[in-house]
Amino acid sequence: MMTGNSVETHNLTVIYNKKPAIWNIDFTLPAGKIIGVMGPNGSGKSTLLKAIMGIIEPNIGYAKIFDKDLDDVRERVSYVPQRQSVDWDFPASVWDVVAMGRYARKGMLKRLSAEDKSIIEESLEKVNMTAFAQRQISQLSGGQQQRVFLARALAQQADIYFMDEPFVGVDAATEEAIINLLKSMRDQGKTLIVVHHDLHTAQDYFEWMVLLNTRLVRVGPVEDVFNQETLTETYGGTLTTLSKVASLLQEKSFPMRHK
Amino acid sequence: MTFIREIISFFTFSEPNVKVVFLGSLILCAISGLVGTFTFLRKRSLIGDVISHAVLPGIALAFIIGHQKNVLYLIIGATITGWISTYLVEYITRHSKIKSDTAIALILSVFFGIGVLLLTHIQHTGAGSQSGLDQFIFGRASAMNQSDIVLFGSVGIVILVLTLIFFRGFSILSFDEGYANAIGFPIAWLKLILSIITVITVAMGVQAVGVVLMSALLITPAAAARFWTNKIHILAILAVLFASISGIIGSAVSYTYNGMPTGPWIVVIVSLLAFLSAIIGSKTGILKSWNLRRRNNVKILKENTIKLFYALNSEQPDNSGFQFSEIAENARMENTTLRSGLKLLRKEGWLIGNDRQGYQTTEEGKREARAIVRKHRLWELYISKYMHLQPDHVHDDAEGIEHVITPEIERELEEQLDFPKLDPHNSEIPY
Repeated sequence: MMTGNSVETHNLTVIYNKKPAIWNIDFTLPAGKIIGVMGPNGSGKSTLLKAIMGIIEPNIGYAKIFDKDLDDVRERVSYVPQRQSVDWDFPASVWDVVAMGRYARKGMLKRLSAEDKSIIEESLEKVNMTAFAQRQISQLSGGQQQRVFLARALAQQADIYFMDEPFVGVDAATEEAIINLLKSMRDQGKTLIVVHHDLHTAQDYFEWMVLLNTRLVRVGPVEDVFNQETLTETYGGTLTTLSKVASLLQEKSFPMRHK
Repeated sequence: MTFIREIISFFTFSEPNVKVVFLGSLILCAISGLVGTFTFLRKRSLIGDVISHAVLPGIALAFIIGHQKNVLYLIIGATITGWISTYLVEYITRHSKIKSDTAIALILSVFFGIGVLLLTHIQHTGAGSQSGLDQFIFGRASAMNQSDIVLFGSVGIVILVLTLIFFRGFSILSFDEGYANAIGFPIAWLKLILSIITVITVAMGVQAVGVVLMSALLITPAAAARFWTNKIHILAILAVLFASISGIIGSAVSYTYNGMPTGPWIVVIVSLLAFLSAIIGSKTGILKSWNLRRRNNVKILKENTIKLFYALNSEQPDNSGFQFSEIAENARMENTTLRSGLKLLRKEGWLIGNDRQGYQTTEEGKREARAIVRKHRLWELYISKYMHLQPDHVHDDAEGIEHVITPEIERELEEQLDFPKLDPHNSEIPY
């Protein structure tokens, strides 16, 4: 079982169009757990994930993964983007997409070895998509697309997985298959950070939770942070003064930090 | 007949200049097809249009500064203004309220307008009319000379090599930029290299097709190729092939009719290829749907014919051969159709025998007969249960649906109905 910190953020702030999308996010997450990131629409869940992984450059603050800079642990980090973020009409087969997971280690130039290929096959096996390996990706159902994305992440053989809404638009069977997969990955000591928005299943799926609404509302073990009070705080509305200040920043073009 | 003689003279390179025109068009079009594959896949078609219009002021400026038509200068000038235009589109989209479609229209017309102004100025000073700068609007491959070809060839090889090296990077960038970034691919560099390659390709390509039609040469080959394949490597190869064919034919026509602009011809040919691809190549294309219908009909005939034997076999289990008349008695099809059905089944190995000895099912044929009857009866049961239909209303539906049920769906039916023994007519469901 992995111990220690998986992710640590310091004052992490991302500004879109002069307005903070996430503001002063400060937390430490444990390793080897399934951690949910929850909050209403537009609360910055995806932005938080992308900022931690360096896909978006934070305007202020920084994030560390396994107590190191992202560039030093890149090989140990895997990402499952939102399914709708790509064009599934792209000319590629299921195999082609899962193979991308191996390119994380191979880089842009090296050829895939026999070992890579067997890892790709294993990953397909784990999400029950072996029969679809040669299928064109445009012919997949939503649940199958999500499985392909998961297989690609698995093929990376990483230690920490960031998943953006993996349960959106999938059938019940896929949802159950995915959560079982996540649990077995957790049992192997992997850390899973999952953006999710279904409150009904949250308690069953996650051990830890990050409640987010532009600012950090709560972070901690589910039993401590998931209750009526914190949910009201997260979903019930924005802090009026805080959002007023954010609007002022945007309107008046004030910088958030100055020398 | 002069036309044919001219065409022959083009393809036999009887004039030295012809080889230059031929090679030049081929190189420029092939590179456009290759690089355009990624413009197409990244959905940057309109950016291609911006670049191709924005190279015009660069060409004009290079001419004004260099005082003559030097292709290297022109390409450098074109690359610079083309590059600035893409940068501006991106900058405006990111840092203002203006959306990308507006930014594209804005930058395209501003750069093209300035280009036309400068070109007019050059022509008024006298030197321009002989220099053939107007050819950049519509392109004229015949204006190329040997040293141009050497330049195009060498730059083309560099672009080809770069594309091959970064093929994996460009592919993932086009499919899923966020993921490419997350796995540590140098996204910023990849984008930079790809856009430099694109701008240079456009800057060279305008020599053959002109600024107005250049974006068509960039996008259309890949769009046409997309109808034929689901593999990105083959897509790139086909795009190069389509572009090259159009380049060759276009330049041949332009050569044959003296003074005919090359660009429009190349674009007409490549568009024709795209149109044909849409009809023939795609799943909805005529050929594919004919083929599909034919295969479906064969499958239906085979299954309907073998089904006849299920009834015959269960009535007379140890019959050593059914006569044609016996089979035809229960068949709801024309005798000629039944004959071709029997022929198909013999070829498939489901039946043995002939009209004289009678027909008999093989083991495989028996299995297939059971399978189709099983699907038929499972479906009858399924719809009578879930669509609440009376038993006498389910047969016709099952007659059609039985042919389309896949093994997976069959398994689902069996599980949902809990491996039923009898259909709604109380006939046995054979397993």
